[in-house]
Amino acid sequence: MVGDFAVGKTSLTQKFVNNVFSDKYLTTIGVKIDSVMVDDTKVIVWDVAGRDSLSPINANYLVGAAGIVFVGDGTRPSTIDAMSSLWETTVDRVGDVPVVVALNKHDHPDWSVSSEQIIEFSNRGWDVFNTSAKEGENVKSLFESLVHKMN
Amino acid sequence: MSLNQDRVAEISQSLFDRRQFAYFLLDTQWCVLEASNNLQEFGFSNLEVGVDATDEIDFLVGIDISDNHELSMISSPAGDPIRVTFIPSVSTITVVIMDARQEFLRQKQLQQKANENELLLGTQEKLLSEIEEAKIKLELQNVELQEAARLQSSFLSGVSHEFRTPLASIMGYTNLLLKDSDETSANYLSAMKRSSKHLLSLIENLLDHGKFDSNEIMLNPKSTELAEVFSDVELLVRPLAETKSVNFTITTDWQAACFVVLDDSRLRQCLINIIGNAIKFTDQGRVTVVASLKDDDLHVSVEDTGIGVSEEHLKKIKQPFWQAPDTGKSGTGLGLTITERIIEMMGGALDIDSSEGVGTTVSFNVMAPSIEPTFHQEAQVLTQFNRSLSVLMAEDDEDIAFLVTLLLEEQGVKVVHVANGALAVDRLQHEDFDLVLMDLHMPVLNGYDAVSQIRGAGNTTPIVIMTASAIEADKGRAQELGCDGYLVKPVDIADLLNIAQQLVT
Repeated sequence: MVGDFAVGKTSLTQKFVNNVFSDKYLTTIGVKIDSVMVDDTKVIVWDVAGRDSLSPINANYLVGAAGIVFVGDGTRPSTIDAMSSLWETTVDRVGDVPVVVALNKHDHPDWSVSSEQIIEFSNRGWDVFNTSAKEGENVKSLFESLVHKMN
Repeated sequence: MSLNQDRVAEISQSLFDRRQFAYFLLDTQWCVLEASNNLQEFGFSNLEVGVDATDEIDFLVGIDISDNHELSMISSPAGDPIRVTFIPSVSTITVVIMDARQEFLRQKQLQQKANENELLLGTQEKLLSEIEEAKIKLELQNVELQEAARLQSSFLSGVSHEFRTPLASIMGYTNLLLKDSDETSANYLSAMKRSSKHLLSLIENLLDHGKFDSNEIMLNPKSTELAEVFSDVELLVRPLAETKSVNFTITTDWQAACFVVLDDSRLRQCLINIIGNAIKFTDQGRVTVVASLKDDDLHVSVEDTGIGVSEEHLKKIKQPFWQAPDTGKSGTGLGLTITERIIEMMGGALDIDSSEGVGTTVSFNVMAPSIEPTFHQEAQVLTQFNRSLSVLMAEDDEDIAFLVTLLLEEQGVKVVHVANGALAVDRLQHEDFDLVLMDLHMPVLNGYDAVSQIRGAGNTTPIVIMTASAIEADKGRAQELGCDGYLVKPVDIADLLNIAQQLVT
């Protein structure tokens, strides 16, 4: 799970793995690891601390990743713009692994994502999902799509 | 200097005992070759020699270690933060587990605060941008509203102008007919006169309302004898009270010849509105006006025993165009609105107290600084001239022209009438007149352009504008062009003669 800070990586993971959601923002330090079965596949989710203005993504946490979920906040355009540079960091470390994109907080009234950005991601071969960890919208589809691509 | 093996073992044991780190050794197939005794303290309870470590530890799955590698902050199986360091050699990998709780807490505090601050900053920027957008939107709306208000004002002025001209004609001819009519006709004509006056007052109210909206209302404070104002108002409203058999009294607490500085015409307007309303809504009983002057403050209270106003209607009574339903009384619903705004402009306030079925008391105060009389005001009488005056009148409305000619000729004035500004300019090039009466809105050449050409040619004959336009902008423009007087139709012949007297030497 890769993306800027406070985009909802932990919320999406916890919604998918434990079906829980909390509005309270708690920053992730380092990496949290969870595992869940998707059909017959054991998926180990590395929920990596978000990139912020002080620190980049710790690329050591990406080593060995078989797929990437890029997460952006649909109410903060800068977090979606950031995905291209995050991809460069990622591909440099793990190669051209399967990618899915979560444009999160789709339930929020300020959600605003340009169709050009969605087309750009699709042109890279990434599946794009408008998600809401709060409502559970597309959370299961997001992970299942990635597992399908990895298999 | 090097430590002997016993000493190294002793230090190692000491460090292990303090539970600060643990380790295990793997072969290249991730099989556990060796494990420290304290691994269980970090939650690695099933990690025994011989087992496949990837079966027990999720973070080892898929990991590719070919060089020194470190996971600086990761959760142990027990849920505590740990630092994991991989040290590969040719045939083994040493995995060192270190307690990272203190580092975790330190980072957590810093990072949480930093991220929350950045989120707040983002929210703040967003809000500021929204405020900026809202501000631009409001400014645009304001411009649109100002334009709408200007159009409304312009519309009201236009309507007022168009109504005023024929009304001036109706009122003037009604007055003429009244002079020679028998009793029955006089009754009919008086009714026409009352209706015309009412219509004129409605138009004036509409125009005033438009002026307030476009901030065109200006006060003209001057030395005023209070007794004269109240006497005028009484003369005007008493007949109405007598018609309805309402007991009408005015009590004032000042001596005769008490002069104050205020806009007397606006004060008259307020008094007529308030007292007129009191009489209008009182069918029996009394209307009592009490006025007092104290410390440069004029206080007036008008108490009636009329139908009164309910509490619900009292809240709406000052709103423009609002009229109490089912009273059977006509009006624009603007009188009180305008009155209150004038009173506020005059530095006072209007207060209404009423009980339905009992009566109403309207009271107000306005600033009225006392002043010594600077001149003696005479009662208005028709001015008599020693010689016959000659007047050139430019007026496109034939009815008005005929009426004014008739009224002036009755006073011995010789009138030459032309139907537009161009004819007036031409006439003045060949003939001298004592005074020019000039309408503003005329075909061929309007009043403004005619005055401009007359003054441009060096002609100094006094020019008095006689127009249906009561807007301040027209008056100001006429003054700028060099006009000497400005009368609004319907023109009172006495006003016209008084101005003529002041201008004609």
